[in-house]
Amino acid sequence: MSLSFHLKKRFRDFSIDIGFSTKENMSVLFGPSGAGKSLLLNLLSGIIKPDQGFVSIDGREVFNSAAGVNVPIRDRKIGYLFQDYALFPHMTVFENIAYGISHEPKNSSRVEELLDLMRLGGLEHRFPKELSGGQRQRAALARTLAAEPRILFLDEPFSALDYQVREKLRADLLMIHQKYPITTIFVTHDLEEAFVMGENIAIINNGRLEQFGTKEDVFYKPKTRNVAKFVGARNIFSGSIVSLNGTAAVIENPEIGKIKTLVDIKGAHLSIGEKITFGIRPEEIMIIRPDKPIDKKVQDNILDGEVLTTLGKGASHTVYFKVKDRDATLKIEIPNFAYRKLKLHKGKLVTVSLKKESIWIIPAEKTEVRG
Amino acid sequence: MIDIFPLYLTLKVSIFATFFSVIIGLGLAWLMARKEFYGKGILDALVMQPLVIPPTVLGYYLLVLLGRSGPLGRFLEDTLGVAIVFTWKGAVVAATIASLPLFVRPARAAIEGVDKNLENAARLLGKTEWEVLKSITIPLAWRGIAAGAVMAFARATGEFGATLMVAGNIPGMTQTLSIAIYDAVQMGNTKMANLLVGIITIFSFLILYFVNRFTRGRY
Repeated sequence: MSLSFHLKKRFRDFSIDIGFSTKENMSVLFGPSGAGKSLLLNLLSGIIKPDQGFVSIDGREVFNSAAGVNVPIRDRKIGYLFQDYALFPHMTVFENIAYGISHEPKNSSRVEELLDLMRLGGLEHRFPKELSGGQRQRAALARTLAAEPRILFLDEPFSALDYQVREKLRADLLMIHQKYPITTIFVTHDLEEAFVMGENIAIINNGRLEQFGTKEDVFYKPKTRNVAKFVGARNIFSGSIVSLNGTAAVIENPEIGKIKTLVDIKGAHLSIGEKITFGIRPEEIMIIRPDKPIDKKVQDNILDGEVLTTLGKGASHTVYFKVKDRDATLKIEIPNFAYRKLKLHKGKLVTVSLKKESIWIIPAEKTEVRG
Repeated sequence: MIDIFPLYLTLKVSIFATFFSVIIGLGLAWLMARKEFYGKGILDALVMQPLVIPPTVLGYYLLVLLGRSGPLGRFLEDTLGVAIVFTWKGAVVAATIASLPLFVRPARAAIEGVDKNLENAARLLGKTEWEVLKSITIPLAWRGIAAGAVMAFARATGEFGATLMVAGNIPGMTQTLSIAIYDAVQMGNTKMANLLVGIITIFSFLILYFVNRFTRGRY
């Protein structure tokens, strides 16, 4: 099972130019609202005709502008779960699900099976407006699966639902996905959702692909400043390389000072004096406990400073830390137990460590790229 | 004893005219609601023309076009042996053209009101354009379509000017209800005129009343 495409389309005030290939079962399209995620699904499914490019599903081309291939929507066998579900309002749940079953007679055992799987038993004679949001979503998914698609597009399927329902449905969806392992493209603008659902993540911004890779890659090795921002790496700085020795590098930033880090030999073609962007995720910064000797692993980048403010966020606390005698402010995310143990409060003087293997670096030019 | 022929003829003409309006009008409404093409604005203006043009002018055009010496009229007469002008068929043509815009307008609005994503969802589930139209678009737009059909029917029953030009005023052959009213007034037959006017008034009122009840949304 695979999906491979590259599509281009120009509109009056927006253009999209995105391509990637995936063999993974579940890939996530992640990006801010208006990035072009739903539009990309429309182009892939043929609802909107691309200007240029190709789409290949399981090795079969359904669109190729150069070869003049444009398979009609109905023959693409794409399952598309719309954001608003698009259930047919004049049909019952049963009729909706049976609608896409092509072989006659409308196989009711298949519908029963899906009703069961989606926990819609007893609701088959209701109309969509008589269902809750979660039930509607499951009915729409059942309808999509009934047509036995080769690939499944899920366009922000949980965005219209309450938080509690959402979490339950995510688990449901993953369970269903295991039972029907169809190549799936999952669209979301919710970071947490992206990480729960996806093996691969495509980060989309302004009609362009910023990065495509495993979740670890985009999370810990963002390739552009935008990706770093979108995946929640809040501590992003500009700097330059002071020294390089194998994988060990020292970078300097006027707000923080000198920082030791490691560079990825294959990834970075960096040189001394080069301008770079670097950063560290808030949860990768450690606050050192004063009553214990400093662990060797975190000895490298020790910074003194004071707590500016703290924010409780349910399971964790966000601490804003100002580096002593400098302008830099770091955002630090720590679990509640650590927060309590450290007895943090506004104005408290603390020492933090930036683990050198947690610091990511990208060449500065990459930050100029705009769609 | 009153002559019921005008009533019978009016019903017959109106039913045929509504039938043709719906068949032609559905295609036009769908085309204008869902497709972009060159000359769409011109087609729209042409279809709507009978709303603003004087019925006698419309009738004159039809007379010229369908008359024995007109291009279409000669063709029909020579090949099919069908005469349109000064027959009840002429009244059907006039009523169809006059009522078409009254059908197309609400039908188009109703089709435009159907969420395109529902049609796309049907296509994605493997349906052809015709199946999408049949199972999604028309069922969801049917209130507007039905309202348009009723309006077209009402317009056809009331058609006067164009019908008079194309079909004439031949009692027992082409004299419709509204023409019979005109005739009765001209002859000073007030009793007859009052009766026919009463029928038409009650009929039109009932139609509008039911159209309004009908079109209240359900979904």
